[in-house]
Amino acid sequence: MSSLSWVKGFRASRRRQKRLLLSLRLMIGMVAIIFALFPVIWIVSASLDPANSLVNQALIPRNASLVNYQRLLNNPIHPFPQWMWNSVKVSSISSLLAVFLTGLSAYAFSRFRFQGRRSLLLTVLLVQVFPNMLAMVALFLLLQQIGNYIPSMGLNTHGGLILVYLGGVLGFNTWLMKGFFDSIPRDLDESAMIDGASRWQAFWHVILPLVRPILAVVGILTFIGTYSDFVLARVMLQSTENFTLAVGLSLFIGGRFTQQWGEFAAGALMGAVPIVIVFLLLQDYLVSGLTRGAVKG
Amino acid sequence: MSTVEAKARGPTMPLAPLRSHIPRIALRLLGLAVIDAFTLWFLYQLVIDGVWFLAAAIAIITLGINVVFLREGLYPIRWLSPGLALMLLMVVYPVIFTFYTAFTNYSDGHLLTKTQAIRILEKEQFLPEGAPTYRWIAFSSPDGEYVLWLMSEDGKAFLASPGEPAREVTPGEAGVGPLDEEGVPQSIEGYERLSRIDTVRFISELGKLEFGEPPNTIKISSLDKAAQYQQRYVYDPVQDAMVDPATGTVYRAVEGTFTSLTGEALWPGFQVTTGRQNFQRLLTSPALRGPFIRVFLWTVGFALLSVFSTFVLGLFLAIVFNDPTVPARKLIRSLLIIPYTVPGFISILIWVGLLNPHLGVINTNLKEFLGWSPPWFSDPWWAKAGILLINLWLGYPYMMLVCSGALQAISPELYEAAEMDGADAWQRLWHVTLPLLLVSVGPLLIGSFAFNFNNFTVIYLFNKGGPPMAGTLTPAGHTDILISYTFRLAFASGRGNDYAYAAAITIAIFLVVAAITMFNFRYTKVWEEVSESV
Amino acid sequence: MKKRLFAVLGVLVVVSFTVVGCAPAATPTPEEVATPPATPTPLPKATPTPPPATPTPSPEEITLTIWADETRAPIIEEIGNAFTEQYGVEIVVQQMGFGDVRDQLMIAGPAGEGPDILIGAHDWLGQLVINGLLAPLDFGDKEDLFLDAAIQAFTYEGELYGMPYATENVALFRNPELVLAAPQTWDEVVEIAAELEAAGTVEQGYVLQPGDPYHFFPIMTAFGGYVFGQNPDGTYNPDDVGIDSEGSIAAAEWLDMMVKEGHLSADVDWEAMHVMFENGEAAMFITGPWSLSRLRESGIPYAISPIPDATSDGRPFLGVQGFMVSAFSEDVLLAQTFLTEFAATEETMQALFEADPRPPAFLPVREKIEDPDMTAFGEAGENGLPMPAIPEMSAVWTAWGDAVTLIFQQQTPPDEAFTNAAQQIRTAIAGQ
Repeated sequence: MSSLSWVKGFRASRRRQKRLLLSLRLMIGMVAIIFALFPVIWIVSASLDPANSLVNQALIPRNASLVNYQRLLNNPIHPFPQWMWNSVKVSSISSLLAVFLTGLSAYAFSRFRFQGRRSLLLTVLLVQVFPNMLAMVALFLLLQQIGNYIPSMGLNTHGGLILVYLGGVLGFNTWLMKGFFDSIPRDLDESAMIDGASRWQAFWHVILPLVRPILAVVGILTFIGTYSDFVLARVMLQSTENFTLAVGLSLFIGGRFTQQWGEFAAGALMGAVPIVIVFLLLQDYLVSGLTRGAVKG
Repeated sequence: MSTVEAKARGPTMPLAPLRSHIPRIALRLLGLAVIDAFTLWFLYQLVIDGVWFLAAAIAIITLGINVVFLREGLYPIRWLSPGLALMLLMVVYPVIFTFYTAFTNYSDGHLLTKTQAIRILEKEQFLPEGAPTYRWIAFSSPDGEYVLWLMSEDGKAFLASPGEPAREVTPGEAGVGPLDEEGVPQSIEGYERLSRIDTVRFISELGKLEFGEPPNTIKISSLDKAAQYQQRYVYDPVQDAMVDPATGTVYRAVEGTFTSLTGEALWPGFQVTTGRQNFQRLLTSPALRGPFIRVFLWTVGFALLSVFSTFVLGLFLAIVFNDPTVPARKLIRSLLIIPYTVPGFISILIWVGLLNPHLGVINTNLKEFLGWSPPWFSDPWWAKAGILLINLWLGYPYMMLVCSGALQAISPELYEAAEMDGADAWQRLWHVTLPLLLVSVGPLLIGSFAFNFNNFTVIYLFNKGGPPMAGTLTPAGHTDILISYTFRLAFASGRGNDYAYAAAITIAIFLVVAAITMFNFRYTKVWEEVSESV
Repeated sequence: MKKRLFAVLGVLVVVSFTVVGCAPAATPTPEEVATPPATPTPLPKATPTPPPATPTPSPEEITLTIWADETRAPIIEEIGNAFTEQYGVEIVVQQMGFGDVRDQLMIAGPAGEGPDILIGAHDWLGQLVINGLLAPLDFGDKEDLFLDAAIQAFTYEGELYGMPYATENVALFRNPELVLAAPQTWDEVVEIAAELEAAGTVEQGYVLQPGDPYHFFPIMTAFGGYVFGQNPDGTYNPDDVGIDSEGSIAAAEWLDMMVKEGHLSADVDWEAMHVMFENGEAAMFITGPWSLSRLRESGIPYAISPIPDATSDGRPFLGVQGFMVSAFSEDVLLAQTFLTEFAATEETMQALFEADPRPPAFLPVREKIEDPDMTAFGEAGENGLPMPAIPEMSAVWTAWGDAVTLIFQQQTPPDEAFTNAAQQIRTAIAGQ
C-alpha cells in the first residue's frame, strides 16, 4: 500500500543516494589521483629519456627506451640491487623497533599519571623540533667513537645507522599513538589485571592488538622516513656496498654539471616500489571497529 | 613492596598477586647487571683514550637506567627508558653539541684542535737558500734498517743512515762496492738495493726517517729528491706561540689563530671558545634590520598555510576513503600515497621543470588555453604560490595517512548517537570528528608547522629563495624563509663556512619555534580533557 | 627503603665488577703500540683526539684511499688496478657526490677517516688550505709538463697543493648556419642578433640565462670589469671588490639594454637556453664542455669560438680539476709518488681525458688532442682567469647573481644593482 511503496521509494532513493555518493567518491578519487600522479608520470618520462634531462616537453621522449633501467641494473660500479636491499633491510628493522619503542612510550604516557608527565612530553616534542643542521658533525664523531669499541655499530655500518634513526623515535609519533591509546578505555587494562595478568601482559596481549591501525601508521611513517633519508645516511655510510638507496641515487646527481637524471629517475621509481608494497600490506590494519566489541566485553 | 608498587602504578590499579614478583625482580637485577657490566667496560675504554664527553654521556644514561629500574616510584619511566636513552644519545647530544659550538669559533680556518693545528704547522718544511738537493737510492738491511745513497748535483756522493752523520764516500770505503753507470754502488755491505717497486711501496716509511745526525738531517721529499729540510715553525709552550727560528717572528695564539705582532696570521687556526661573540654578532647583524620582518612574516605564513592546506586535503581524502564500501579502496589509497614514496628531491625538481615558464608543460598549455601563464619564478607572489602548491603535493599524503589512522580511534557509536540527535554530516564532522581527531593529530600539526618553518629544502630547490629583493643590506629573496635567509650569513660570509655562527643562528631560530610550539601545546591540554571525558 | 636501594645498587656494582674482571682481556688498546700521547680532548669538545698513529703496516696492508665523484671514479679504479698490479699497493676508490668530496673532507679528514687523495676543483683551495687539510706537494721537474695557468690555479700562497689534469672554461657557441663567422665583439653579437630576430629566423639571437654570474663574467671582463683585483703575483686581493667598478657597471648597463630591447628575457633559464639552441630557436650562447654531449645528441650544428671583446678582452673563468693530497693522510709521500709516477703519464691523462672530456692540463696530451671542440675550448680559455680560490669568494656569488637577476627582471637600474651588490659583498667580507 502507500506506506509500503513509500518505504520502498525511500529505500530506493536511499540506494540511489548511496550510489551517487559512491560515484562522487570515485570521482574525487580520480581527480586526486591525477593530481598525485601527474608529476610522477613526468618522472617516468624522464626515466625513459636517454638524453638525461628533467625538462621534457613531450610525455614520451623522443628516443624513449629502457636504456636507463638497463644501465642502472647492470652498472658494475653502482650495485643498485644491493642498495635497494640495504634500504629495505635498514628501514624494516628501524620501523619494527620504532613501532615497539613508540608503543611502550605511548602506553606509558597514556596510562600512567606520574609527576612531570606533561613536561616530559613537551620536552620530547621540543627536542624533535630543534633544527638539527649541525647534527651531522656531532653524529659523525659520535658514531666514529662508538665504532672504535663496538665495530658493528660504528661508522659505515648499518647497525650504527639504525641506532641513529632510532634516536628520533620518541617524538611526534609517540603523541599520535598516545592519542589512540587514550581512546581505549582503561577498564580493559584493569579487568585484565584483575584476572591475574601483569601490566606487561595486559599491554601485550590485550591492548596492543586493539591499536593495530596506529601501529601500522607509525610503521609506515618510520619506514618511509628512514627509506628516504639521505642526509644522515650519506654522512654515516662510506663504502659503496653499504649505501642505502637514497645515498646511492644521489651519486647520479652529484656531479657539477653532468647530472644523470635519467638513471636517477629510473632508480627513484624502482625504489618507490617497496614502499607501495609495504603500504598495500599494512592497509588491512587501517580498519576501525576493533574497539567496538571490546567495550562491551 | 606491593603497596608501594601499587602507589607508583596509579590510583586505580588493583593489587597483583605477590608470588610472580620474585622471579621478575631477579630477572630485572640480572638485566641491570649485564647492562652495568657492559657500560663499565665501555667507560673504561673511553676513559683510557680520553673521550670524556661520550663517557660522561654514557655514564649519565646508564646511571639513569639504574635509578629508574630500582626505584619503585619511577615504574612508568621504565617503559620510556629505551626510547629516552636513544633519544638522549642521538638527538640530545647533537643539540648540546650545537649549543656548545655556538660559543666557539668553529669555522673555516678553525676546524682543528690546537694540537692538530700545531702538528700541521710543525710539519711545514722549507729549504734554505742555496741548500743542495740530492737524488737518492735506498738500501735496506735484512733487519729492516735503511741507508740512503745520495748524489748531489755537483757529482758528490754521500752515504747517510739514521742517527749517524752523512759522509762522503768513495767506492771501497765503508763496504761500498764499485759504482755502476748511474753512479750508484752495485753493492753495500750488509745492505741490498731497494728495487724501484719496493722503493715506492716503502716510501712512506722512508719519508718518516731522518737520515744523518741531527740537527743536519736529510729527509726525502719525493721520489727524486732528498735534502736538508728545516722546520719552519716551532711551538713554544712558554709563550704559547709558534716561533719562526729563521726570522725570529713570534706568532702568538690569539683567539684561535697564531698571529704575529704585525698582524700576519698562520693557517690553520684552531678551535677556541669565544663566549657570546656569535650571538652579539647576530644581534648587530644588518640582516636583522633589512627585510627581516618580511622574511619572518612569510616564514610564519608559509608554515601555517602549508599545514592548513595539507591537513584539509589529507583529512578530506581520509574521510572520503574511510568507507569500506568504496570499491578499489586499497588501490586508490595506495596510489594517493605515491607522492610520499618518491624522494622529495626529485619531486621538487620535476615540479620546477613542470612550472618552467618557457618550457614547462603547465605553462605552455596555459598559454595555449588562456593566452597567459603565471611567472612562477620571477614574480614574488606567484613564486610563493608555486612553493605552496608543491608543498601541498608533498605533504598531503602524510596527513592523509595520519588521519586515516586516527579516524579509526573514533568509535562509530559516537556518530550513530550524533545522527540520532539530528546532526547532519557537517555538524558531525565539526563536533565529533574534529575534536577527537585533534587530540592525537593536534601535536602533529604543531610538529608539521615547526618542520615547515625550517623547510630549507623546498625553498632552496625551488628558486634558492628568489626572486631577489632589491636594495637589501644582505642578499635576500622573496621566498626566503628565516633559516635560508640567516644561514647565508654563515655560509656565504666571505670567510668560508662559519659553523659556530650557524649554530648561534640555529639556537635563535629554535627559541622562536619553541615559543610557538609551547604556546600551542597549551591547547592540547584542552583537547586531552575533551577526549577523556568521552 | 633507601637502605634497600643502596644495598641493591651495591650488589649490582660488585656483580658488574666481577663480570668485567672475568671477561677476557678487551681488545688491546692502541697504547700497546708506540704512539704519540693521546691528548685528552677537554670536555665537551666534540672533535676527537688525533687518532693514535697506527704502526706502519707491513707492505701487504698499504692502501691508498681516493675520493672521486661519479664521473671520475670508474677511470680511477681502472688506473688504480694497474698501480696495484705494478707496485702491490692497494687502491681503494670511494665514490661520492662532487660537492660531498669537499664537505666530507672537512669532517672526516681531521677525524682520521679521510682519504689520501681526492679529486676536486681548484677553487676549493682557499677553504681547504686555511683549514690545514691539504698537504703541499713537490713534483720536481714534472711541473713543467703542465699548463702554467693550471699550476698557478693550484698554487696558494706560494705552495703547490694539487696536480691539475683538466681545465674548463666557457666559450661562445653559435649555430654556423645562422651566424656564418665568429663574432669578434659584443657589438657584432647585438647586430647579428637584432638582424636574425627581425627576420624572424630565431626567437633570440643571443640567449643568456638570468642569475648565473659564472656565465656573465666573460661579458663583464669584456667591458673591463672584474670581481677581485689581482696582485702583481697573480693572486687575488679581497680588499679590492670590482663588482661596482666602471667596467662592471658598463657591462651591467649593456645587459640592461639587451633586456630593454627585447633580446634577452627573464623567463629563459639554463635548461631553456640549451633547449632553444638545440631547436634552432637561438643562434648564439655561452656554455662549457659539459654541454657537448647533449648538443651532439641533439644534432644541431654548432661552432665554438672565443669570447667576443668589447672595450677589453673577453675572458672566461678558468676552472681546473686536479688531484689533491689530504694533510691527514698517513702516506703523503706514497700519494705524491702515485701522482708523479702514475697519474702524470700520457696513458693516464689520456684515459682521464676520454672519460671526462675537458682540455687537458697535461701538455703532452693537450698538444695531441684531435677533438676540434677541445682545441676550440682550449683557445677560448687561453686568456682565462682562474676562478678566485680565496675564501672571500663565497660572499660574492649570491649577491652578484641576485644583481644580474634584478637587471633581467627590470627591478632596479643596473648601476644601483651592482653597486648594492658590491656593498653587500663588502659587508659580508668585513664580517657582519
